[in-house]
Amino acid sequence: MNLAARASHLLATTSRRPTPRPAALPAPRVRAPPRTPGGARRTLHASAAVGHGHLTRPAPGTGIKVHWKDSKGNLIKTTEGNEGDDLLSLAHEHDIDLEGAPTQAANLCACEGSVACSTCHIVLTPEHYDLLPEPEDDENDMLDMAFGLTDTSRLGCQVKLTKDMDGITAMLPSATRNMFVDGKKPTHH
Amino acid sequence: MLGFKLEVPRREDSVQGKTHPIYLDMQATTPVDPRVLDAMLPYLTDQYGNPHSRTHAYGWEAEQAIEDSRKHLADLIGADPKDIIFTSGATESNNMALKGVARFHKEKKRHIITTQTEHKCVLDSCRTLQEEGFDVTYLPVQQNGIIRLEDLEAAIRPDTSIVSIMTVNNETGVIQPVKEIGALLRKHRGIYFHTDAAQAVGKIPVDVNEANIDLMSISGHKIYGPKGIGACYVRRRPRVRLEPIINGGGQERGLRSGTLATHLCVGIGEAARIAKLEMARDREHVKALSDRLINKINAQVEHVIRNGDASGYSGCVNLSFAYVEGESLLMALKDIALSSGSACTSASLEPSYVLRALGAAEDMAHSSLRFGMGRFTTEAEVDYVVNKIVAVVQRLRDMSPLWEMVQEGIDISSIDWAQH
Repeated sequence: MNLAARASHLLATTSRRPTPRPAALPAPRVRAPPRTPGGARRTLHASAAVGHGHLTRPAPGTGIKVHWKDSKGNLIKTTEGNEGDDLLSLAHEHDIDLEGAPTQAANLCACEGSVACSTCHIVLTPEHYDLLPEPEDDENDMLDMAFGLTDTSRLGCQVKLTKDMDGITAMLPSATRNMFVDGKKPTHH
Repeated sequence: MLGFKLEVPRREDSVQGKTHPIYLDMQATTPVDPRVLDAMLPYLTDQYGNPHSRTHAYGWEAEQAIEDSRKHLADLIGADPKDIIFTSGATESNNMALKGVARFHKEKKRHIITTQTEHKCVLDSCRTLQEEGFDVTYLPVQQNGIIRLEDLEAAIRPDTSIVSIMTVNNETGVIQPVKEIGALLRKHRGIYFHTDAAQAVGKIPVDVNEANIDLMSISGHKIYGPKGIGACYVRRRPRVRLEPIINGGGQERGLRSGTLATHLCVGIGEAARIAKLEMARDREHVKALSDRLINKINAQVEHVIRNGDASGYSGCVNLSFAYVEGESLLMALKDIALSSGSACTSASLEPSYVLRALGAAEDMAHSSLRFGMGRFTTEAEVDYVVNKIVAVVQRLRDMSPLWEMVQEGIDISSIDWAQH
């Protein structure tokens, strides 16, 4: 058999071989929702939809009260939140700027709550600080970098509201690590 | 003649051809271990990147070298690498720890406890804090240089923020019971325990968790590393908060801003690695040398008193030669590098405040010499020093009228000296 014939023979045998099936197909991660009798609509996702920091505001007078103060102790606003809301989202929802003095344009912190910055640094009263669980190492590491750190400082994004925190006071620090010393406010992007 | 002869011109103050005194001042500083120098050199030549540069390989390799050093240093004291903050030396670490913790908690806590035999940088920081309105308790020490735990417990107040007690004294080698102190302070919530371990790290086993130490000062040039680098251990769990003295780009967890000196960090790291490997050997070597020194001197000279605790760090031997003035002894011992106290005091003629706190009489504090032996000290050097000291002390005493009176049996302290 010449070389070309051999090659074509080989080719022929390979192409005749059945394609191997994967040993085990991965089990479907999402169980399909039960078919509606009409079979009209099926959604592809069964996991809960995750919102983008938009909170539902509780009916006035029923939520957990949070008093926001500026660095000089003047009250900026009193807001109400639901149990489980974090202070950063709450501040955002109510247009309270966690980067220094209050302005109209609310600022989410630089890392959007992923504990990679210290811009949502807030100072709590000792009574309320003691109600919270100890900060994790990651949060402490970021707090180390915060400007004007106190021993009752927390990151707003890590403070989850509970019922017994009703009436909590969150004071905003006088500055952040952001070095805009000319008074310009970073815009959210 | 073929080729040429290369003649290196002799620089004006070249050390070539000069003899150097025998070095017995290891508490002042230690020579850089050649292995440390080898580790440092590449970071002064090829690998010159800024360790904080994140955008290129020069930065990454420098950062990697620094993180490795941090690990070596942390391993030496039983800490986590993230707890180590590089500083310029133990003086800066002491300043950072004391002022940092005191100022951070100043709203509620205004009391600091330290001892009378601390290093000057601790005492001076405390004095500065006193000016700022803090209260400082300076604990006395016993005759052997060790504090009483009862004194410490009695000094603790509800508004005490930090207790600073050094591990090994730089003048006498006295070792404080750090473990017991740590256990005692752990019972009082909210008090931070700082220890200046510049003379201890790398020489005796130190473990920050065993001794419940919250902050610890470390020096590079006391452990055969380069000068200009030190470290401060700052406990992260439970978190120790302090107000930084140096503000800036937020390097070193925001506690000590400023670009790190890569080669120096590598130096202290390598020195720490070697110190951990060779600690047992070094201790044995130094113990043998100090025993040799003490025994030989005691066998040939009378009226010699060892200041401090005999069970202290053996590489530091502080001896008082009665009826001899320490400074004149030093002048006569030109070919031996010794000190009559800490390097910081030895420029002034005031007697050591550490020996005074130990209750030494003023004349004994004036006649003290500190012998510091280390990794590279040899038996022959010790023997030479002993012979020299014996001869000089004898000569100085022969000239001294005081010595003559002592020989005649007159009690010196009973003499009523007339002022002229």
